[in-house]
Formats: sequence, C-alpha cells, structure tokens
Amino acid sequence: MKHLLTITTLTLLISLSACTNTTVDEYRENSTFLTLDSTERVVVLGRRHYADYETEPDFIDCIGEKLEADKEISVLPEREFVDLLYPWFEPRTAPLGLKRLAKMLNEPMIAQRFKEQSLRYMIWIDGSTETTDRDGSVSCAVGPGGGGCFGFTTWEKTGTYEAVIWDLQTLKESGRVKVEARGSSYMVAIILPIPIVAQVQDQACNGIGQQLRTFFMGTRADEAS
Amino acid sequence: MDTRHLMACSLVLVSLLVSACATRVEVDGKFPAALTHKLPLRSVVVFNEAFASHRFESQVGPEVSVSVGQVQVELFTGLADNLFQYSSTTTQMPSNPEADLILVPNVDDVQISMPNESQLKVFEVWIKYNLQVFKPTGEPIADWIMTAYGKTPTRFLKSNTQALQQASMVAMRDAGAHFITGFARVPEIQQWLRQRSTNTPQRKGSAPL
Repeated sequence: MKHLLTITTLTLLISLSACTNTTVDEYRENSTFLTLDSTERVVVLGRRHYADYETEPDFIDCIGEKLEADKEISVLPEREFVDLLYPWFEPRTAPLGLKRLAKMLNEPMIAQRFKEQSLRYMIWIDGSTETTDRDGSVSCAVGPGGGGCFGFTTWEKTGTYEAVIWDLQTLKESGRVKVEARGSSYMVAIILPIPIVAQVQDQACNGIGQQLRTFFMGTRADEAS
Repeated sequence: MDTRHLMACSLVLVSLLVSACATRVEVDGKFPAALTHKLPLRSVVVFNEAFASHRFESQVGPEVSVSVGQVQVELFTGLADNLFQYSSTTTQMPSNPEADLILVPNVDDVQISMPNESQLKVFEVWIKYNLQVFKPTGEPIADWIMTAYGKTPTRFLKSNTQALQQASMVAMRDAGAHFITGFARVPEIQQWLRQRSTNTPQRKGSAPL
C-alpha cells in the first residue's frame, strides 16, 4: 500500500512537471573566437549598482561552474576576486566602462594584482530573474480534526541577462551575449500543496554559460587539432 | 497546576511570542585588507563608547534592533591600518599624541528599510558617519560626513535577521570603499595634506582614482 502511494505521488509529480515550460532566447552579437591559454584565467562578475535589482550571486557561481565544466577554462570565483581587489570592485567603485577600467589599471598596484591572478578576461553579467505574472490562489486551514490546503496557483518568471566580455590585454569589448528565459510554475493543493517549479534561472544560466563557452572553446579546439 | 504556575507559563509563552516578532541583529563579519597606497601619516583612531556600542533601534513598526558597534570598530581599525603608515586606537581623546592626525568616527544616523515598509523587494541599510579629523593639538582639520549604503534582495535570504546582517555588511564594505577612495579627496584634508607636503618631502599618496 505504501509503495502504491509513493508510485502514485511520483507519477503525479512527473506528469505535472511536464506541464512546466521554459523558453530560452539567446542572442550573440559576434562570432569571434577568443584566445585564452592554459595559464590564463577568467573572472565572472555581477552588476550590483542598480537600486531596484541586482544580479544574483548564485547565478554568477552557476555561470562560473558552466565555464569550468570540463576544466578547460579556469575561473576565478567572484567573491575571491572582489576581496582581493577591495575596495575597487564594490558597487560604488566598480568600473561601468572600459575607460574607467583602463584608468584603474594605470595604477600599478591594481594592475599587479590582476597580473598575479593571470586574469585575461572579465565577464560582466547584468540582469535578474523576476516574477512577472501570478494567478489563482491556495488557501490552507487548520481545525481540531486536522488541516489541509486547497486550490491552484500559477506564476510566471522571466530571467533577462546580458554578458559582456572585456579583454584585459587589449582593453576592448570582445563579446556580448543576451539570454531571456521564461517559465511558468504551478502549485496544486489537495490537502498537501505540491509545487511544480520551472527552473528559469537554471535555464538562463545554461544558455548564457554555453554561449560564453563557445567564445573560448573554438580556439581550444584549434589548439588541440 | 496552581494559579502561580499557570501565570508563569502564560508569561513565558507571551514573551516567547513577542520575541518571535522582534528582529535582533548583532552584525559580525570579516573585511578584506584594502588594496591602497599608505599615506605617510601616523594616526590615532578614537573609538568612543557611543561608537563602539552603537545599536540601531526602530522607533516605529515592528521591533528591529541592529547592533553595528563592534563590527565598525573592526572595520575602521583595519581601514586605518591599511591607509596610514602607522595607526593605533584608543577609547578616549588623547592629548598631544605622537601622531600626525586624530580620527574620531561617529555615527550620525542609521536608517533601515524593510520590504514590508517600502513595498520594494529589498532590505536596505543606510549609515551616516561623521568622521572628525584633528591635529594632535586638538585643532580640527575636517568634519567629513560620509554615507554608506547596503542592500539585499529578499529572495536571496531566508530570514529578516539574515537579510539585515547581509545588508549591514554590504553597507560596512561600502563605508570602507568610501573611506579609502575619498579620504585624501575631502577638500579640508586635501588642503591640510598640501600644507604638510610643503614642510615635509612628498611621498606617494593613495591611488588617484
């Protein structure tokens, strides 16, 4: 009986999860390949200076993991980089453009720190995932005989992100990728609430991570051949 | 159960319920060393009692208490170590110390904004510092009003306490960034440094960014 209940619940969850949908639109502005030798590293940073949103730290970690997936690209973690360069990459002081970065790198102490870390590219990620629509309701009640929830609710999330690659050697922008991911999530409650959540942020991370990898992996493939 | 026990139990229960609604944060954390040129100055930083034990208590709405005293003592001790050639700390205004300047940080104001008040999905912390700089003789050099700001989006964190702790730490780091990048740019301090450099040979100051 217990097995039957588990199987029924699993089947219900699987069939409901099939109802979630995520759409990913990707856009890459140029098709150049970037050189990155095995001793050089990349740092991925999130934009945090806007008042109404900030790029999620876990999204930045996720992109770092995608880039490092097969150990071909070495990524310096965001937190480590920001601490090593403190206070020059705080929301108040971080360069918003290449002109400002060039000015920063004119300072030997900062340039030396970049060199010590063998940094070749800086990737800025700007964007966030927001709930854009919500519908339905779930209500719960507790009484002397027990409690439970009943209802149905759905919500839509949209994640919009843009990645800009700065070449720290030439101090020029060398790539730009945009990703928009949308997904609908549901929650069905019949005594117990069962949420079926669309992984919008994960999908956006996959999209942007794969696009960014193609900038670097093209040259690695050439080297290997 | 007699009435006395019942009353005690009720009191405990009520106080537990009340404390469950309050948000109390003892901000703590570590700050990285600042990457900056040291100014050729010896400083004494005075952490008075009000600064070292500063606690923000909300006057309206739900009870919120944020203690920033200890963490800001750690922050300013580290900042002074990083920015000045030599730095020491004390709890009372010294008279004629062997130093080039005396720095007295004060908290003028702390403001906190929670999502239930602002209708925004962020926890925000503002801190307004008044950094007083004196000559060793006690003569004032500058009164620098320095603001710091930190925010944390609600969805990143699990509780109000955690969110306020993080927003306060972001505000502290911002204060550090403002202090390091702005100290030598405060007009009165700039003028004082210029006057000093005419008397003593000039050495490289903080990064001119």
